Amino acid sequence: MTMQTLADWIGEVRSVTIGATRADGGTRTGTVTVGGERDLSFVGTPPTGHRPLIAYEICDDRSLWPAPVNRFLGDRSSDPGEWARWAGQEYAPDLIRLFLTSTRKRGFSDPASVTSTVESVLQATGLPLIIEGSNDPALDSEVFRRIGEAGEGERLLIGTAEAGHYRSIAATAMAFGHLMIAQSPIDINLAKQLNILLREIGLSYDRIVIDPYTGALGYGFEYSYSVMERIRTSALKGDDDLTMPMICSAADSLTVKEVREADPSESDRISVSWELYAMLPAAIAGASIVCVRHPSTIAQLRAGIGALWSSPGGGA
Amino acid sequence: MALKALDIYKLLPKKNCKECGEPTCLTFAMKLASGKVKAEDCPHLDEKVRELLGASTRPPVQKVKIGVGERSFTVGGEIVLFRHEKAFFHEPGIMTVVSDKMDADTIQEIVADVRDHLMVRIGLDLRMNGIAVCSEGGSPSAFGKAVEAVEAVADLPEVLMAEDPAVQEAGLAVCGNFRPLIHAASHDQYREMCALAVKYGCPLAIRAPDLGSLARLSGLCAAGGASHLVLDLTSASLHEVLNSATAVRQHAISRTTPALGYPIFIDTRATGLPDAALICGVLKYGSVLVADAVPKESRKAFLVLRQNIYTDPQKPIQITPGIYRVGNPGPGAPIFLTVNFSLTYFTLQGYLEASGFDSLMLIVDTEGLSVLTAVAAGKLSETLVRDSLKQFGVPDLVSHKTLIIPGYAAPLSGRIEDETGWKVLVGPRDAADVAEFLEKEWT
Amino acid sequence: MPTVTFIPGFRKTEVRSGSSILQAAQQVGIHMNVVCGGLGKCGKCKVYVKSGSYDFDRDKYGKFFTAEELEAGACLACQTSVSEDVLVLIPEESIVQEQKILIDVMGTSTELNPAVWKYALSLSPPSLDDPSPDLTRLLWGIEKAGGPKEGVIYAPLEVIRRIPRVLRESGWKVTATVVLVPGGYRLIDIEKGDTTPACYGAAVDLGTTTIVVYIRNLIDGSVMGIASGYNRQISCGEDILSRVTYARKDGGLKKLQSLAAESINAAITEAANNAGIDRDHIYEVVVAGNTIMTHILMGIDPAYMIEEPYVPVVRRYLTAAAGRAGLDVGENSGLFIFPAVSDFVGGDIIADILASGMAERDEVSLLIDIGTNFEVVLGNRDWMFACAGAAGPALEGGEVLFGMRANAGAIEQISLDLVTLTPAYRTIRHVRPKGLCGSGLIDLLAELLRACIIDRTGRINTAIAHERVRIGRQVPEFVVAWKEETGIGKDIVITENDIKALIMSKASVLAACLTLMNQAGITRNDIAHIHFSGAFGNYISKENAITIGLIPEVPVERISPIGNGAIEGANLALLNRRKKKLIDEIARKIAYIELNAEPSFMDEYTGSCFLPHTDLSMFPMVEEMLEKCRLRRGDP
Repeated sequence: MTMQTLADWIGEVRSVTIGATRADGGTRTGTVTVGGERDLSFVGTPPTGHRPLIAYEICDDRSLWPAPVNRFLGDRSSDPGEWARWAGQEYAPDLIRLFLTSTRKRGFSDPASVTSTVESVLQATGLPLIIEGSNDPALDSEVFRRIGEAGEGERLLIGTAEAGHYRSIAATAMAFGHLMIAQSPIDINLAKQLNILLREIGLSYDRIVIDPYTGALGYGFEYSYSVMERIRTSALKGDDDLTMPMICSAADSLTVKEVREADPSESDRISVSWELYAMLPAAIAGASIVCVRHPSTIAQLRAGIGALWSSPGGGA
Repeated sequence: MALKALDIYKLLPKKNCKECGEPTCLTFAMKLASGKVKAEDCPHLDEKVRELLGASTRPPVQKVKIGVGERSFTVGGEIVLFRHEKAFFHEPGIMTVVSDKMDADTIQEIVADVRDHLMVRIGLDLRMNGIAVCSEGGSPSAFGKAVEAVEAVADLPEVLMAEDPAVQEAGLAVCGNFRPLIHAASHDQYREMCALAVKYGCPLAIRAPDLGSLARLSGLCAAGGASHLVLDLTSASLHEVLNSATAVRQHAISRTTPALGYPIFIDTRATGLPDAALICGVLKYGSVLVADAVPKESRKAFLVLRQNIYTDPQKPIQITPGIYRVGNPGPGAPIFLTVNFSLTYFTLQGYLEASGFDSLMLIVDTEGLSVLTAVAAGKLSETLVRDSLKQFGVPDLVSHKTLIIPGYAAPLSGRIEDETGWKVLVGPRDAADVAEFLEKEWT
Repeated sequence: MPTVTFIPGFRKTEVRSGSSILQAAQQVGIHMNVVCGGLGKCGKCKVYVKSGSYDFDRDKYGKFFTAEELEAGACLACQTSVSEDVLVLIPEESIVQEQKILIDVMGTSTELNPAVWKYALSLSPPSLDDPSPDLTRLLWGIEKAGGPKEGVIYAPLEVIRRIPRVLRESGWKVTATVVLVPGGYRLIDIEKGDTTPACYGAAVDLGTTTIVVYIRNLIDGSVMGIASGYNRQISCGEDILSRVTYARKDGGLKKLQSLAAESINAAITEAANNAGIDRDHIYEVVVAGNTIMTHILMGIDPAYMIEEPYVPVVRRYLTAAAGRAGLDVGENSGLFIFPAVSDFVGGDIIADILASGMAERDEVSLLIDIGTNFEVVLGNRDWMFACAGAAGPALEGGEVLFGMRANAGAIEQISLDLVTLTPAYRTIRHVRPKGLCGSGLIDLLAELLRACIIDRTGRINTAIAHERVRIGRQVPEFVVAWKEETGIGKDIVITENDIKALIMSKASVLAACLTLMNQAGITRNDIAHIHFSGAFGNYISKENAITIGLIPEVPVERISPIGNGAIEGANLALLNRRKKKLIDEIARKIAYIELNAEPSFMDEYTGSCFLPHTDLSMFPMVEEMLEKCRLRRGDP
């Protein structure tokens, strides 16, 4: 009975499928697809495209992880494989996003560990994976090659390429059939530019997921929010260079003063609130994958996304 | 649709008579296009043109004021669908529910909490806005008592939620002079509710089963003399709330359905997901949000999100210029100069904290411009640095005369040294490198 | 007092003990490179002290030199003080070089309508029957000779004082000169005999760096002489901001004012000498210059102009007696200064607009003047938008490792073989290359893009296995010329940082154009003409300017350089006084857009920091061409 919305969009966000089952040459128990929207997020009954997904973030070196999350997890986070298995079972995120934080520490010198970590997580969970590699030109080609190899056939989403640093990740994505994240610092022009650069070295637009960079809630989040809205509306207006789905992470929102300095008794509830208040808006602004670190956020986020996606009982 | 300066210019008399206060018709056209002047300021426009220009520059969503006094707030007046197109101007008010079934003490506890809760961020006071008094028993006297209990504690803006005109009037009898929002008129009783709105001079919320009949109802109420309306889009389905709100705003902004050109009311309790409903309301066009008492941790996140979204994207949030301390800086601590763009400040502050060095930050007034823009625009200059050093008494705070400036301000280093007599160290361009910089240059 | 001797040339000067070598150089008229204004920041004023003792802090400034140079006595002229006699060698690169100064104009023809008239008069001497006073007699004579009525001519005291003697000594046969100024007619000279053929005017382009003077015959309009030279204020700082800083110093403004007048006088003298005419017969001087330069010439403090809200002191045209500004022409000759619109849109831009003819056409033109600062004007007969901004010095060769001004040895044109990547270039004066000037840099950027050596953000693809593509000092670079072929004994390279600086410069210009177009609501297809003013626009390749996205894509035939628009505009105003009215109209018509206050500008800027632009659909022809190049080049 509602009056129709008026926008007359002509574009469509590309659909991207992450993960591969045995039938496709991988080992995932299922695959996920995002994108396909032909209108703003959650608009239309039913909404267009695919429902936004939730990725749970883990890492292989917890010393670079937010303290409130480490406190909550206890020893669970010392083994990435076990961590992934547990989180997948207990909290049922749609994807697992593994950060190889060990490669970002000074003096990293164990590239072989990249292969074993990726393999152990692949074995521990059947969920589609996002893998974040190094951030150092000296390490990139080795680290990304190992990620690519270890996950060959799994249709991983790997990250993160930036304008100054995209060739080795793109090469891995092309060589081993993976997808990649292209990140730009909260600017629609820079997001578009990076996509063009990637296309010009031969990467197909179907393999790119945009990370517009998500500022912390209260500390620049609004810039990210508007850039996401601009990217989405540009795609809907038919700008082919911006038609990729977007991924956002609440990582920065866990580092803000309000969370960091929270009383330990409230730390979990505050962490969940700040992640929820950053990631649900991100989904509304157009993100197709939203990522959180506190496992308790997942259920609330899923409920919110579910309620925005369809009316109770699944009816219109 | 917004007219470009040149389109407007073509409609102007092009006499450059300066009677509007602008030097030329073209500058007038530019200011009119950006909403800085009104079409009426030009004395030489014929009626038709004035109307045309006036219509295209008047906000398509009506402004509505709720409450009186210090805590009153105004909603509406919005002109865009997306904040990046210009800005969202009037942030939604959040109204905490009290019920006429609660005892007076409970009510007063809730009201006092709303009255007193204060969060200060970036120099701004973030507050909960008001109270929604809910009639649950249908008794006029109970409702009146509940309103009295609210009034006894604070003069906060109120929503009187009673559909029965008799109950509603019992509330208005107590606080009708303080511009509460009357909730809500429907097709069944709009005549009585309009009469109340007119009698007490209050804004009126209206509701109807679908947007078409809501638009008709708004026309009927306006004709009945109640012109300060708020559209209630409450639904148990968050999906429907977001879709209706989006449709209403699109119809209003495009002026397709002027009868929907009013602020939006959402009762978040209906959805069973208070946080998600508050988020949806803040982002997607809610103006009056009714909610049960919001838990402390959500409350902060909500206030911060609302502040973020309603920040003018074209006018960065500024930090008050001055000296800021990281850790416990002594007289030998390094002192970092930077601009008063909030994001720059917070980024640098974050990395300085992480670096473990006790240090001072000297924030100078570049009107919220980032370092790069401030240097390019000449807003960050050696004279500004000299004056700021003096104004904030920096020489008394430290025992050295070395100033660390942002990497992007390197071209100014010589001039700053000359103007201030301080030694200038050019810091990194990226705040993330500040720890490494300090290790190398400061120890 | 110590004596400082400069070689080559053995110019000597005495200075006070403790003076800097730079001050000594200024005393003898050697114009040294002082990009930073003599603060020891730029390292450009390198000299070698060959003998004698001096005071120079090598620890502090040694970073500017190689060990060999230090060994040879290198120091910075601005930071070296002398207390006894010294012999100083100034290397060529430290002297402001003779540069291509653009003196060409399009020579737009205009109706000859000067504001100066000379009347040869034969007056009857006074008698008891005819006792009217000398002045009245003279003015009547002018009226009778077809000049303005006696009552409307104003005669200044200086002229009146000379009248009785000149009349009598000449036997009542004199020539009177009348000019029309805003206040009305003015008697500015009286000479013996008939000097009517000697009636001249001077048009002046007062630039921050250079000065150009045209002397015109105001009877037939012919060009009598042309001269150009450096603005002598360069010794007080190279860019406009350092001049303003200098003006703030004690006595600084006065010094700058007299240097400006001196510079103009020198050029006028040279032109007058070449033409064989007397400077006193120059009756009107028309000056077009940027806002700061004209303010300084008039002795008006420019300091407040560079601070918010950037208000110039005067925004209409200015007139005065030329002598009051220290100009060495006829004492009462008129001085006309082009009006300024804002701090950065000055009289030079109004002169550009006048010269381009855009203010007299219906179709829309875009006028671009690029230097360290740039100005852009968009408009037509009815309306005009203007803006200005800082492009940075990269497009003029500054802040680029091997960038240089358009001096001898500068590579001004270059192309790359798409297969072998071998450059083919042309240098100014056809000598061995020493560096790249603006037009060469634009060519190079376009060619690197075509050859896929750089991506669209300007990053060099180091994966290309080619001897010219290499990692220099931590930064990737491309070798333009091997040291064996250069005139400096070093490889000439362009680094990734150079390329970034160039892209940022070009992005400011394009973003300014797009901001104005957006403000006016027009697209690139609506632009009928793009006019480039100034030296930069005269020499650059139009195709390559579009390829890199310095300007919006339009068919190249719509692009035309107007040469030195400032001097052309000044000439037009000198020859045709009716243009002065148009000048004021233009100045009033322009709506100035402050880019920093325009929220969309930063967005346009980041969009423009890409080759040619993030929105490739705005450059369809460039895209087609680049596509072809990529195919020819093969997948890199």
